[in-house]
Amino acid sequence: MGIKINALKCTNCMACEMVCSYHRDDGFAFLSACIVAYRARERKDYFGVLLKEDDVLIVARPEGLEINKIGEEADPDKEADASAKPMLLREGCDLCEDMDDYGPMCVAFCPADAIELD
Amino acid sequence: MEYLSTDKILIIDLNAAEVEEEDLDETLVKEKIGGIGMTTYLYDKYKEEDPIVIGTGLLTGTTYPASASGQITAKSPVTGKVCHCPVIYKLGVEIKYAGFDYIVVKGRSESPVYLWIHDGVADISDAADLWGKDVWEATDELRKFVGDDLLQTMLIGPAGENGSDYAQVCYNHWNSPDRFGFGKLFGSRNLKGFAFRGMGLIEVAEPEDYVERSLEILKEVKENKFLGKKGLAPILTALGEEGVDEWIDPVTHRHSADYFTPYASNTALFLDEDPGLLEESKKEEPGVLVSDLYALLGFKNSGFSAKDAGSALKACAKYGIDPFAVAKLSGKTTLEEITASFDSISGEITIPGRGIFSPWCPAGPVFNDFGLAGEDGTIAWWERRQAVSMIFGIQPMFSLMCPELTEENMLELASLGTDIELTRETLDAVVDTILG
Repeated sequence: MGIKINALKCTNCMACEMVCSYHRDDGFAFLSACIVAYRARERKDYFGVLLKEDDVLIVARPEGLEINKIGEEADPDKEADASAKPMLLREGCDLCEDMDDYGPMCVAFCPADAIELD
Repeated sequence: MEYLSTDKILIIDLNAAEVEEEDLDETLVKEKIGGIGMTTYLYDKYKEEDPIVIGTGLLTGTTYPASASGQITAKSPVTGKVCHCPVIYKLGVEIKYAGFDYIVVKGRSESPVYLWIHDGVADISDAADLWGKDVWEATDELRKFVGDDLLQTMLIGPAGENGSDYAQVCYNHWNSPDRFGFGKLFGSRNLKGFAFRGMGLIEVAEPEDYVERSLEILKEVKENKFLGKKGLAPILTALGEEGVDEWIDPVTHRHSADYFTPYASNTALFLDEDPGLLEESKKEEPGVLVSDLYALLGFKNSGFSAKDAGSALKACAKYGIDPFAVAKLSGKTTLEEITASFDSISGEITIPGRGIFSPWCPAGPVFNDFGLAGEDGTIAWWERRQAVSMIFGIQPMFSLMCPELTEENMLELASLGTDIELTRETLDAVVDTILG
């Protein structure tokens, strides 16, 4: 079981990022989220979602999913995104195992239904 | 103020080049709630110094649907009225997480400056190298200087520096809802603008209840059929405009939403790139992000192709000028004429009602009728809806679409979030003060 992201449905609203961090912090913040809306290519209207699992970083790009094993050398042809840097230091997705009433918070709160439980 | 707040008000004196902080007293929140309730209070408090007051709503940056908005409250140099401009995209949220609920700017700097607000720290920084640069250049330069592409900016361009009545304060690279000439106001203070970045934590009094109710409200919101649509074209169509889809579709790339806002009301147009491109464009400036319905419509009605309209909007965003004013008042019909006319536009823009809220938002409901009857009632409803949205920090366009975002549930969430009992009587009193 895991999180499935449709980057073409994503509207870059950051709801996933907020509720994921809430699940960690019990307050409102963005600092601890293991899922983030990447939005550093604003001028190019290029956005999607980054998800950190225990040993992989999933990049849900509009053109498709990319799965990077953490610790392996990054593809030199692809420029790193500013949003990706702090992600590697964060805890991986635990599917909000302690949030019994909700399941994964990013799935429950995504206004665009771009995130599902797979 | 312990909850839903940074507990801090920033006071910046440009004359003295000094920065002070004040605590946000909970008593004030009990009386003024937040957003433009507070910015109006702060404007009045420092009225003799004709301040520019930036603020966030009490619910801004939380899980309440569409809690995206901040506000600029100041006296318009064009109309002479104290007006309230919504702060949209992700900028309102960044202001709060950068460490301040409210920012009061007094006075005039002797030389150009910008205000760098980050993680609870505020600096008045030299803007000599930014002055003269357009909005895009200045935003890019600040992001490069700080080394953070997520830096959020609120800047003026040449229009504001040159004192145009139609100068806008722009947000990041894009035009804003500023129809009040606040760009001219910034320029007159030698203030290039603000850069914001922060990773703060906002405490909640009853976090579990707050989040649970947020989700219940979101689920009600998602029952709306209009949420199957995206972008500016469906809004214009719902407002009775014809042929918008056919006109704009050939250059439409994607649509994006403001923070936590269920409707994606920002439309990106690709002008120098294939609009169907999914990969990241290799071009530096493939297009423009548009949030201004009426500017877009103005160019359409002037006979522009959607591509030329996008190019005109991009030029306006760079110059930091209100694209609606350009479309309506310039009388020009080609891109070259438009850009050549920026410094010579004259005429008046009509602002509905009391003239204190931006007609960037439609002056009535969108997609839903909210049970309204009669035009007089509609303007009164619109002004109250705008006021309430900007007290709580709700994206003011989305609040015109969505009846499920009620005053009752905004008050309920504000009370849950702060542990302060906020009543309809308090809200009515705050709205009355704002509306005069």
